[in-house]
Amino acid sequence: MDTILLHFDTPTAALRAVAARSDDGDARTFQPTASNLATAFLNVATVRSNHAALETNETVFSFDEVLRAAQRVQQFLRTRPDYSAGMRVVLKLPNSAEYVAAFYGTLLADCVPVPIPVSIERLRWQQIQELCQPQLVFTQREHLAGLESNASTASLQLREATGLSDSPPAPRRHGDDLAMVLFTSGSTGVPKGVSLSHRNLLANAESILHDLPIRADDKALVLVPFCHAFGNSILQTHILAGATMVVGTPFLFPAAIVQALAKFGATSFSAIPDVFGTLLKYGQLGETPLPSLRYMSVAGGGMRHDMAANITALIAPATFHVMYGQTEASPRLASLPPDQLTLRKGSIGKPILGVELAIRDESGRDLPPGEVGMLCARGDNVMLGYWNDPESTAMVLSNDGWLQTGDLAHRDEDGYFYIDGRANLLVKIQGHRVHPAEIEGVVEASFPNTRAVALPMARGEETRFALFVAAQNGQPIDMAEIRATCIRELPTYKVPLHFEIVKELPLTSALKVDRAALSLRIPQY
Amino acid sequence: MTLDKSKLEDDILQFVGSRIPNHPELAKDTDLLEDSLLDSLLLMDLIFQIEDRYAIKFGSDQINPANFRTVSTIASLVLAQSNPQPA
Repeated sequence: MDTILLHFDTPTAALRAVAARSDDGDARTFQPTASNLATAFLNVATVRSNHAALETNETVFSFDEVLRAAQRVQQFLRTRPDYSAGMRVVLKLPNSAEYVAAFYGTLLADCVPVPIPVSIERLRWQQIQELCQPQLVFTQREHLAGLESNASTASLQLREATGLSDSPPAPRRHGDDLAMVLFTSGSTGVPKGVSLSHRNLLANAESILHDLPIRADDKALVLVPFCHAFGNSILQTHILAGATMVVGTPFLFPAAIVQALAKFGATSFSAIPDVFGTLLKYGQLGETPLPSLRYMSVAGGGMRHDMAANITALIAPATFHVMYGQTEASPRLASLPPDQLTLRKGSIGKPILGVELAIRDESGRDLPPGEVGMLCARGDNVMLGYWNDPESTAMVLSNDGWLQTGDLAHRDEDGYFYIDGRANLLVKIQGHRVHPAEIEGVVEASFPNTRAVALPMARGEETRFALFVAAQNGQPIDMAEIRATCIRELPTYKVPLHFEIVKELPLTSALKVDRAALSLRIPQY
Repeated sequence: MTLDKSKLEDDILQFVGSRIPNHPELAKDTDLLEDSLLDSLLLMDLIFQIEDRYAIKFGSDQINPANFRTVSTIASLVLAQSNPQPA
């Protein structure tokens, strides 16, 4: 597998004539112009050529520049000796102009982008490679860590327009053809590749553009990684609206987010609940005037009603939108209109345009309002299935297109939905769906004489993991070593906060680990 | 309880060190920000840990780069915040 380092050298903004804000008052609503996502991008980029697609601390990238860079990626892929339509291309890139060019360029070449986090752990990367057999990786020098050193490495300069073919071939894939694979955690702890078609991604974008007040003159501050289903959705909607995204600045301190919103004149901000939690606590939200701000939205996990109400009050007259979805649905499924927030405490809202939601019991019967059951969804945004895994696909996706979300929920008499819990062991942490086996597996692989059990624990308003370890055959356990292994092998959000050795793991009457009993041992914070 | 600065620094150093892999040379004056040793989640964990252990509450204006640059500046912030009784 080849590694390609992308470079998109750009003069500083001061030297350039890109309009960072549209002054043409163009605020058209979305028109689906193509059945291929990259063709839709190409159409928008042609109309909005001089408008800023991306803005960073240093510079601005116009739609035309991003399009040319994407066409360079397209040409690069198509002229490779190993080129074949549908080949998988991994993107290990942060939110950047390089990411956007690589994403649409890969689609323009009829290949399949597979975005992964830049800080992906070794074991997960190995599993993803084995599952989807990618041909090459687009990355940058600072994100090479974790990729094999024996692979050949080359560079691709995206700035040079010379040598670009005048009429690059139009992509042929469309509609139900596979567009991208997004890896997420499945109900067994092994990563599953959610296969999304052009139709899925276009349907999701169209529904969100219908639901959120996104306009062509918007400027969104984007922190959610594009490799996450939520971030991917923000990317598609803003590109297709011809709007601007501010990217490339990791924010360590919450107050810096609010300062950036003010500095860039951002019109919107979307984030996971935990980010809003730190904004409320330490972000000085409401202290700095944000006259450009029109709305904020939250997704990627449940948010407590009082927090949503606080944000709503602090950002008014800008509106706050609570949304719900999952990667398997590209991802958006439901949205709560801001004027319903105080009336429908804790609701995820109603299905968005083009989506049907139902509450069903174990035999698949529809349940009446008030009764808790499996939340199921159907729509053009529901995935093709899990990559190369018909068995797992059949477990969640029925022949008539209904997806079992794995979330337990009910609805009220007026058709608003409420999440009540999960039907499996998956845990939402910092917007990521994590299976306890992802932590347990890393520990047991390094310490074969142990049995490890990871459990969700509440820490303040957040959820994290606690880890219990039992010796298998009386061998002593070195907890400091186990902790060090977790820190070395896992991203921060998966590292347990509480470590405890237990003599024996409690068992249920079915002789499985009694997770509920073990949960009682987790200290209260 | 009177907090002693060097004891405080040792405690914070131990916590930060326990969460950062492969950084044996971590010291009280290591620049945590310049060396990108903290990510936003670690920073929040550190704040949570300190508030919990020393029973203090930081104000939102105190969570800034100047106060969280090194273990030593964090310890100074905790001392200032813990508001010791006059002798």
